[in-house]
Amino acid sequence: MRKKTFWIAYIFLLLVQLIISNYFRFTPYIMLSILPVMVLCISTRLDTLWTMLIAFATGMTVDLLSEGLLGLNALALVPVAFFRNPIIQLIFGKEIFARKEDFTLRSSGFAQVGLALLLAQALFLVLYIWADGAGMRPFSFNLYRFLASLGAGFLLSLLTLNVLVTDSRE
Amino acid sequence: MKQRRLLSRLFNFAVFIALEIAALQMLTHNAALQRVWVARSAHLFMGKVWGASQGVRSYFSLSETNRELSRENFLLMQELELARESLRDAKTESQDSLSRPGFSMVAAEVVKISRNKQHNYLILNRGYKDGVQEKSGIITPKGVVGIIDAVSENHAYAFSFQNSDISISARLGSEGGSGLLVWDGVRSNGAILKEIPLQYRYQKGDTVYTSGHSLLFPPDIPLGVAGESKVVNGATNEIAITLFQDFSAIRYVSIVHNNSFDEIEQFER
Repeated sequence: MRKKTFWIAYIFLLLVQLIISNYFRFTPYIMLSILPVMVLCISTRLDTLWTMLIAFATGMTVDLLSEGLLGLNALALVPVAFFRNPIIQLIFGKEIFARKEDFTLRSSGFAQVGLALLLAQALFLVLYIWADGAGMRPFSFNLYRFLASLGAGFLLSLLTLNVLVTDSRE
Repeated sequence: MKQRRLLSRLFNFAVFIALEIAALQMLTHNAALQRVWVARSAHLFMGKVWGASQGVRSYFSLSETNRELSRENFLLMQELELARESLRDAKTESQDSLSRPGFSMVAAEVVKISRNKQHNYLILNRGYKDGVQEKSGIITPKGVVGIIDAVSENHAYAFSFQNSDISISARLGSEGGSGLLVWDGVRSNGAILKEIPLQYRYQKGDTVYTSGHSLLFPPDIPLGVAGESKVVNGATNEIAITLFQDFSAIRYVSIVHNNSFDEIEQFER
């Protein structure tokens, strides 16, 4: 049942992302995305292959239904799915897979969850900004964009995590 | 179990690459900037890959390259030898017009040479038709070879330095004492420098030159190096000399003639 609520929340957040992508573009320095946290929060019981396919589909949906470049979100989101297990293992330890549990703010603490979110967000942003810039934008611009987007995205991800975890896992 | 996990990881990686390629394909298909960027990156990547593979191919084809280099080296050596021969010919030809001060020179080739007697001789391929005169010296860059004794139209007969009747005036070092240099009668490159006054100091290895006191040879032609010495009659040194000239390998020589020979001889009479 919890599983079902998670996927409902997931689809809801996908719609939120579409709204963000289409209407919340205030400055070129900030790119708001909750896609990394959505992928990161997919249950650890789902293997990497399926996670990657879901991430690809999610990215493509955003690309198709927003004013972005087709393939850009998918390109940046699939690596988050691919490296999701190593990131979780690095921060939360192997036990989480052995116990077949998912991380939560309550069980793992803010620091660990925050670090995982930062890593996933950073990986996504590096690829997104790199591919979006296509080697034409100066490094300084990309750096400022990365830092600003990381900060804003992290805060947004915390809220998203709260929605995903509260509604579907706890 | 491990194998299955490894296979699963490999499969995941393959799917990951496939999805990324698909996303990149869509990106480049829909955005010109990204298309150029990907194309440029792909070219750079391919350039590196080709460069690396070329390096590997080059490494494994080194033995063939070595064979080619060896063959090329052999051909170059042959060319070098030809060039050296040409240079030698040019040098001997230029010696025709090369005039040491007061001496005229004619390049010649040894036609015949005797080396096993006490009175050895040479026959050269130049005669009076070529301007060769009696009482001319025969030299090479390595020393003195002999003295012309008789001249025909096309040939010249000469006493070899390896002749017990021949002696030439030689100087020990650049400013040492002068004496008479004669063949030691034994070695093909052995000679004895006689009548060197005792007050002249020298060291083994000092070079012996023509002194220029003789009318036959220009001065300062290096002849050989000094070796052991002995005092003769308590008055002079006799020094063993190792000649630079190897008489078994003489082919090209220069005939030198003192242009003032007749004039100076008249004084002596």
